Amino acid sequence: MSATDTATDVPLPARKKRFNRNEVLAALIFVLPFVVVYAVLFIYPTLQMIWLSFHKAPLIGPGTFIGLDNYAKLFKDKLFGVAFWNTVYFVVLTVVPATLTALAIAIGVNRLKGWMQSLILACFFIPYILPVSVVFRVWGWMFDSQFGVLQPLIALVAGDNVPVFRTLPLFMPTVAFITVWWTIGFNILLFIAGLRNISPEIYEAAALDGTSKWRQFTRITWPLIWPVTVLVLTIQLIAQFKIFDQVYLFGNGGRSDATMGLVQLIYRSAFQKNNGGYGATVAVVLFLIIVVFSVLQFQMLRARGEK
Amino acid sequence: MMKSFLKMALLSTALLMPAVAQAQEVVTWWDFLGGGDGVRMKALIEKFNAENAGKIEIQATTLEWGTPFYTKVQTSAAIGEGPDVMTYHLSRLPLGVSSGALSEITTDELTAAGLSGADFAESNWKAAQVDGKQYAVPFDIHSVVLYYNKDKLAAAGLIGDNGLPTGLDGVDNFKAALQKLKDGGSEYGISIHSAAGDSQWRIFYSLLGQQDGQFLDADGNFLSGDNLDKAVKATTVVADWVKDGLAPAATEYPASIALFTGGKAPLHINGVWEVPTMTDLAAKGELGFEWGAIALPTFFDHPATWADSHSFAIPNRVGNEVSPEKRAAVLQVIAWMNKNSLAWADAGHIPAYSPVRDSEEFKTKQPNATYSILADTAVFDPSSVLAGVASPVYDAAGNYLMPAVNGEIDPQSAMEQMRDDLQGQVE
Repeated sequence: MSATDTATDVPLPARKKRFNRNEVLAALIFVLPFVVVYAVLFIYPTLQMIWLSFHKAPLIGPGTFIGLDNYAKLFKDKLFGVAFWNTVYFVVLTVVPATLTALAIAIGVNRLKGWMQSLILACFFIPYILPVSVVFRVWGWMFDSQFGVLQPLIALVAGDNVPVFRTLPLFMPTVAFITVWWTIGFNILLFIAGLRNISPEIYEAAALDGTSKWRQFTRITWPLIWPVTVLVLTIQLIAQFKIFDQVYLFGNGGRSDATMGLVQLIYRSAFQKNNGGYGATVAVVLFLIIVVFSVLQFQMLRARGEK
Repeated sequence: MMKSFLKMALLSTALLMPAVAQAQEVVTWWDFLGGGDGVRMKALIEKFNAENAGKIEIQATTLEWGTPFYTKVQTSAAIGEGPDVMTYHLSRLPLGVSSGALSEITTDELTAAGLSGADFAESNWKAAQVDGKQYAVPFDIHSVVLYYNKDKLAAAGLIGDNGLPTGLDGVDNFKAALQKLKDGGSEYGISIHSAAGDSQWRIFYSLLGQQDGQFLDADGNFLSGDNLDKAVKATTVVADWVKDGLAPAATEYPASIALFTGGKAPLHINGVWEVPTMTDLAAKGELGFEWGAIALPTFFDHPATWADSHSFAIPNRVGNEVSPEKRAAVLQVIAWMNKNSLAWADAGHIPAYSPVRDSEEFKTKQPNATYSILADTAVFDPSSVLAGVASPVYDAAGNYLMPAVNGEIDPQSAMEQMRDDLQGQVE
């Protein structure tokens, strides 16, 4: 009480007070653990990675400085082009569908009451807690070209069993579908939290005015849920740009040059071929791509939402 | 209860006085033996631990075969956190040594453990060396074989007077036999793991070897000269089976075995490491037919089969060197395993250790004895940093050979692309 009084009565000394040594010290003590961890585990390795990308070096150990040669090689590398477009394709196939589907499911789940709501929500969330290896085995067997339980259905449409993970045009869409199934639970949770934050009084008022359900959605729910949508879209975008596990597992032994994403190119260069310098170069470029895309997306979407 | 209490008391006393009681060496072991042979290896390790109780104890971990195993070995070696001993494919040795993952094993160390080069076939022993330095000790020779369903083959008249399959030699003969088997009511004539490059590479490399084709010549060129034509021929053989529905397209590993064990395909090409799978199923009475295994038929000029060798290697441990006592213990483990490798023959493999391979027990062991000829006709992967398990050659097999077998790429074009890709990776 008295603090606010002083602040309003004599603003200048109060502002000065903000920077008194004790407070700065306290702030430092609270922030320091994070800053140290962040610097040691993120900033330092990132700088090392950038430095490594200017070298011809094995995965671990010293190398020779070669300037921008790795970058020159990268832009001539056919595999980099393939990996880039595969990654973009995967992002297109997953980000918006996963967000919209999650919103639709969240609105549906939100209308349920009591234990029924918990049960349905749990059903959608359970896949999210599965490790990727389990997801791979489950779907691998369901789609197995000889014994998969889904093959009779596929044969109805295609006329014969289809090895989906060894048919190039089907590979990415199938893996994208599985990824959406696997990870959608978390997005639903975020949307439900967002929907619950919308005051029911607004809907009551709208209902009194005789507003249709669709109009309620477009005029109330959609604008008010927009910040959450932007958040989900951004999280999704970053996560899907880093796609590796599923594509690697389902593509292993197959035409990996045609199905690989950027992270897999990093893995192959650095870990399989022991070419740490080139792996770091791809990683730096991927890092820049993600930064540019997510900043752009976040800004654009936020601006649109504020209109 | 009292006994275990006493044990605990003794154990804690022992732990408190390491200087008095002789410390037990714990040997950390990594392998990639997840197939039917893994069970046999676990039994061998248990036997070792029982015989050496109080002196050496092996603590084993089985990791995922192929690229995951070798990348883990590679990174752990660089930071000194690897195992004390591990299984290693000899085909990959040049790549492993070039990336600094392996520690040299000296002649003195080998002698101290009672091992010598004379106990192994010369080519096998040499394959464990790079630039004259020993980096591994061979443990077995393994290959691919032709598994057969004797009941179905007999019905098709393909079993000879000696009780073994007959009439399978030659490309056209073999295909006619497959057709006969399919006409006899089988879903496929032969089951192959056609969804991945590794299994297809083994068949391809056998067929290339049967024509004396060289995948990588002495000048470092891939598929040079008429080797390309031979490679195309080898690829076409398998692609034709798939095209005519005699072999399943794009089939995963477990499914390819299930097609055979389930009686849907009377023939199956796979590694000897699946022998235990068949033995165990037959013992439980779940197979439903009499099975056998023979060396691959001769499709071209002479018998030849792809082969590789499991060996034991010691990873480099940069900045975390092990004690001389531990290294001695590791060498003892390696020597013991080789001297007891008759049990490893149960896993389908051919022991690398000559005294065991020449023993009467091994010579009468079935089905190994039937296909042990392949030890003499073996063609090993090219010795190159680009070849071997989980190497660029294996990746290329997935990218070009596998789709060619499944009819997605024309064999001619596939082999040309494979050649150019690998040649482009030569530094």
